[in-house]
Amino acid sequence: MTDLSRRSTVGLGLAAGAAALSSRRARAQTPSEVKIAMLVPLSGPWARQGILEQMGARLAIEDINAAGGIKSMGGARMKLIEYDTQDSSEKAKDAAQRMVAQEPDLVGGFGCWLSSFTLAATEVTERVSLPWLTLSYSDAITGRGFKHVFQSSPTADKQADELLPMIVELAGRARSGWKPTKFAYIGDNTASSVSFMKSIRGPAAAALGLTLVADEVYTPPLSDATTMIQHIRSTKPDFLGFQSTNVPDDKLLVDKFAEFNLKSDKLPKIGGGGHWAVPELLNVAGAENLEGILVALANWPGKRQADLEKRFMAKTGEPWFGHDSIFAYVHVMILKEALERTGVADRVKVSEAIHALDMTDGPALFFPDGTLKYDEKGRRVGAKLCVVQWRKGKPVPVYPPSIATSEVIWPKI
Amino acid sequence: MDLEVLIENVLNALAAGITIGCIYGLMCIGLGLIFGIMKIVNFAQGELLMLGMFSSLYLVTGGGILAFMGPYIGPFVGALLAGPIVFAGGCLLHKFLIARVSGLRTAGSLDEGHFGQLIVTLGISLILQNGGLILFGSSPMTVRTPLASSAIEVGPIYGDATVFLNKARMISCAIAIIVAVSLYLVLEYTRMGKALRAAADNPTAATYMGIDTDKVYRLAFGLGCGITAIAGGLMATYLSFGPFVGLDYVIIMYSGVVLGGMGSILGAFWGGLTVGFVQQCSALILPPQLQNAAIFVVFLLIVLLRPQGLFGRSAERA
Repeated sequence: MTDLSRRSTVGLGLAAGAAALSSRRARAQTPSEVKIAMLVPLSGPWARQGILEQMGARLAIEDINAAGGIKSMGGARMKLIEYDTQDSSEKAKDAAQRMVAQEPDLVGGFGCWLSSFTLAATEVTERVSLPWLTLSYSDAITGRGFKHVFQSSPTADKQADELLPMIVELAGRARSGWKPTKFAYIGDNTASSVSFMKSIRGPAAAALGLTLVADEVYTPPLSDATTMIQHIRSTKPDFLGFQSTNVPDDKLLVDKFAEFNLKSDKLPKIGGGGHWAVPELLNVAGAENLEGILVALANWPGKRQADLEKRFMAKTGEPWFGHDSIFAYVHVMILKEALERTGVADRVKVSEAIHALDMTDGPALFFPDGTLKYDEKGRRVGAKLCVVQWRKGKPVPVYPPSIATSEVIWPKI
Repeated sequence: MDLEVLIENVLNALAAGITIGCIYGLMCIGLGLIFGIMKIVNFAQGELLMLGMFSSLYLVTGGGILAFMGPYIGPFVGALLAGPIVFAGGCLLHKFLIARVSGLRTAGSLDEGHFGQLIVTLGISLILQNGGLILFGSSPMTVRTPLASSAIEVGPIYGDATVFLNKARMISCAIAIIVAVSLYLVLEYTRMGKALRAAADNPTAATYMGIDTDKVYRLAFGLGCGITAIAGGLMATYLSFGPFVGLDYVIIMYSGVVLGGMGSILGAFWGGLTVGFVQQCSALILPPQLQNAAIFVVFLLIVLLRPQGLFGRSAERA
């Protein structure tokens, strides 16, 4: 072999080695799939809510991959890794620890539905800088100075501040200027309800000229509500708010009001939280007793999502696309948007990209206000309550106008 | 508060207390047979209540066996039929598991089998809860009847004061009383009842008298399971439930049995009735969130003042 050919051979070898190295680096930067996590209750008393989130998330993953994956990453496919919080905060935290240990290449995630589970799990995700999106309501979730937690719902305190003015506005709109003056509340003594009721009992009611004439607080689960409903009946309020936190209690309350001849045509009612608009409440309480009940919640698909709702219903067999499923869908879409912007599977960069989002299109359209921006605490700017009303066995969006498909009906008593 | 409202509040609370109390009473009789008479610490009693609820649900809706009876009669027939189904399950449970940690096998042992019973029944409870989750799912269920949300209105009694008697609970209450009285008569006046009481009092002496104590214990355990299941079926007509519902009622059952007097079937019924009554009527003077705390205040008072139970005598048997 001549000197020239030896030099050529060495050069070729070095070039091949460099090419191989750069190709390996390129592969590391643009993996063929990107993993995100879903940590929700898939067993235990809250499993149904987790399953509704799972359905929404799986549909989003299918939609993303069918549309060509993450384009800025060479069409990398998104993969959903599912973990079960089970039935307690301790188990939720254990599951989060297992999740971050077993899946070191996760770039983000969402969950855990129940605020107490989210509070526990985000202590783990924050330590490993994993961006975490949640629909949970508690103010504490984004009140601890965490950098990688993003709360898409209005917080519990904000919901409480918004609720009474919104009810007065809806009543006035439906009954041409009429203004309620007396209201009653019935709710349990769990952490979120206590926090919510603190604001309701505060000066907000007085500022609106409202008097709280009955304030019934019980310890769940409810075995009977006769004495509380009887007390509410005797105070003759203009409307009633529910701050229960589970379907069995909702059913018992709704049945009891019907028994006392106080269905929504006699006493307007507004429930708070996603559990007031789930199919299983319809199964246990029946369309007749739910008719007219208003439900205030953090998100609901409106007329903009009509096609998506049809696809969801056809795929899952669910009677509608609701609060829990749309949140899971939009959270996957937000993570996808952040990945498109960073172009790398790096969780810190994904977190920075979510902080930098300021959108009025794409995933923003899955929120009633049509905006997507998180503040420095991780709370979604502009997050507002929306309202659905039970009509003939189906929740119909009635507020805000951006999602409403019908006007609110307020009984003329 | 004006007199009219006060009268209405008190009468409605009394009506709710009595109707719910009678159903609790039946629930407590089931445990009274197992815990009060056989002295078996059964942590799975709440799950037997849950099995009664699901048995009734599937009889009425799942298999459609009772669908022809409609939503007014079917749910109550379903509740009654849940009894024999869970009775059979209880007998099998006793034969293969409970018998090994109770009865003659443990008579005279230091702990009388209580440690074994505790572990075995706790294990059964966990298996039934999680098995229920796999089989029935986590969505709340109910045995739908229009009677659950309608009432017989009595009055106006004084001014506009009206008493609302929930129809589903009234029927459930009547069935609970009939089942409780029938069981009392069977235990008091039949040969089987006497054999059961004899085996409970002194298993060794009963064996010498020719009583097959194993068989009698199995029967008693099955009866305890079946009676609680009937109560579960009745509750399923107005409550929604899931695989974990038993946890909410097991404490009420134990307090009812101890309150009424250990070893007395009638006492267990009265104990359950008292629990329901206190739970409802306490809300007249205390915040409703203290309803369950009120039960335990009364419970502790009775244990302090009358340790043998409210309606029992220390040596009384049913």
